[in-house]
Amino acid sequence: MASSKPPQGHFTLLYFAAASSFTKKSSEIFRAPLPARDLFQVLEKRYPGFTEKVLSSCAVTVNLEYIDLDEDQDGENSLVIKEGDEVAVIPPVSSG
Amino acid sequence: MASNNPLDSTIEALRSQISACEAQLQALKLQLAEAEARANSTGPSLLSTQYDQDMTNGVPNAWQTDSLSVLGQTNNESNPPSQALDQSPQKWPLTNDEYKRYGRQLIMPEIGLRGQLRLRAASILIIGVGGLGCPAAAYLAGAGVGKIGLVDGDIVEVSNLHRQILHSTATLGMLKVDSAVSYLKALNPGVEYVAYRERLTPESAIETFQSYDLVLDCTDTPASRYLISDACVLLGKPLVSASALRTEGQLMVLNQPARPPGDASGGPCYRCVFPKPPPAASVVSCGEGGILGPVVGVMGVLQALEAIKLVAGRTGTESVEPNGGQESQTNPDPPSLLLFSAYGSPQFRSIRLRSRKPKCAACSTHATVTPEALASGSLDYVQFCGFIGPVDALLPSERLTAYELAADLANTDMHEATARRVGTARPVIVDVREKVQFDLCSLQGSTNVPFSEISTGGESEEWLAKLRSVSPEQPILVVCRLGNDSQVAVKKMKEAGLHGDGKRWVGDLRGGLRAWRENVDPEFPDY
Repeated sequence: MASSKPPQGHFTLLYFAAASSFTKKSSEIFRAPLPARDLFQVLEKRYPGFTEKVLSSCAVTVNLEYIDLDEDQDGENSLVIKEGDEVAVIPPVSSG
Repeated sequence: MASNNPLDSTIEALRSQISACEAQLQALKLQLAEAEARANSTGPSLLSTQYDQDMTNGVPNAWQTDSLSVLGQTNNESNPPSQALDQSPQKWPLTNDEYKRYGRQLIMPEIGLRGQLRLRAASILIIGVGGLGCPAAAYLAGAGVGKIGLVDGDIVEVSNLHRQILHSTATLGMLKVDSAVSYLKALNPGVEYVAYRERLTPESAIETFQSYDLVLDCTDTPASRYLISDACVLLGKPLVSASALRTEGQLMVLNQPARPPGDASGGPCYRCVFPKPPPAASVVSCGEGGILGPVVGVMGVLQALEAIKLVAGRTGTESVEPNGGQESQTNPDPPSLLLFSAYGSPQFRSIRLRSRKPKCAACSTHATVTPEALASGSLDYVQFCGFIGPVDALLPSERLTAYELAADLANTDMHEATARRVGTARPVIVDVREKVQFDLCSLQGSTNVPFSEISTGGESEEWLAKLRSVSPEQPILVVCRLGNDSQVAVKKMKEAGLHGDGKRWVGDLRGGLRAWRENVDPEFPDY
């Protein structure tokens, strides 16, 4: 899992658990800025079926802070992912 | 060495009197130093406010009453028989055994006498006695929690033992709760253990949780995670939730502080963080996905740690809460989600969580989860999380049994009955388990096309090219571990046109390699 800085004009996306299994990657670089509410669309384009199979139940964080995409869609608080941000897609893990 | 000189015995007696006096003096000096330290650092009034603040900091007030009553009761408490010889009433709040057993944590300011008394007065419910519950229970029993409840309906299997450290080869086949209690009793007989020998249900949750201060979710399904969280919210119990799969783990302290539903100052619940359950088809158990023992062990140990912090409170106030300001009044630890990635760098990431979700179905003012709904069983957690039964996607004509396959492989020609269905050419056997499993053991002559490549169907169509290179009249027999993935794979292959509009037979091995082992080759590894 790369914790190094992404190149200029990009942000780092970390994949955990099922998101990592689906993409077969632990992290990836995407172009910034990106409105947070568009994140899933961008990912769906790159990985067809990702939303339905994994993303729909995931938590999303930006710089180690939980963001609520539902609330975001209501227009209250349209967060934009910035260059250099560390974003993470965290599926619920239920095993133990 | 008997002495015959009377002077010798006098010297001996004097020596022992001196050492006794010295010991007494030493003890008195210690007591004086302690008293002086207390008088200097905190005046009596400050001491009491600090205690009050600590106690209210996100910990149920019942514990405050409990531990203070224990402190106040020390003189009336019935003494163990061994100490009844002492004519004076017992001077110390803990027994001598407790001082010794818990000495290494007692001398830490984070625990101290007060923390230990609170641990002893506390009751903790551990749901699931597997990879998480085993280490959590061991550390909580070791720390001297007064009462530990254990809920699990499963029995100990040999594949559990690499991670479920309370069970052993000797307890195979026993109920996990019984195996665990026998280990824990040997570890610390001073704890009360309560065994619940069944799976938690919505109907039993409220009643079971009621007599505990704190709950640990050590279960392994989405349905149980929502059920436990809901019950904790309804009853006002803090919840320490953890999970682990493969090389990763998650840890959250939820509903802390445990305020009533609708009170926005309470801690978030599981639904606030994960309002939607994962799609049923994506849910993988440790049995299917694999788990590294120390990964789930780390998470269980962290659960025990968080539980001890919650129960014992904070005694090292000087360093932890500099001046008891407003922030510490509300909650000293904001809610967080700790992620552990064994192979990641960094290995730990702590995510700051939001407070309660304004529209949460369980803990907000919009809550639809009620005690009545839970107790009546009208909340269907299994349905909420979706249910995937065994796959039944193929026609009987599309399936071979292990017997049929064995007969075909044993002869140079295909078995007659099979040949009528499948064709006379020998099938190519396509094993769709993941490569790491294929490498463990496989049928002779089989080729590996991992299911993950077939099912994602993204840009990589390498698997299709590989199968298109097989001669078009040769039948394709798909095998997997249990006979579920193989059916989905057959469907995908037909969608991709591999059956050549019915000219080529494409089908699967019914029951997968498990059926092969059970019916044909008992030596085939069972992993």
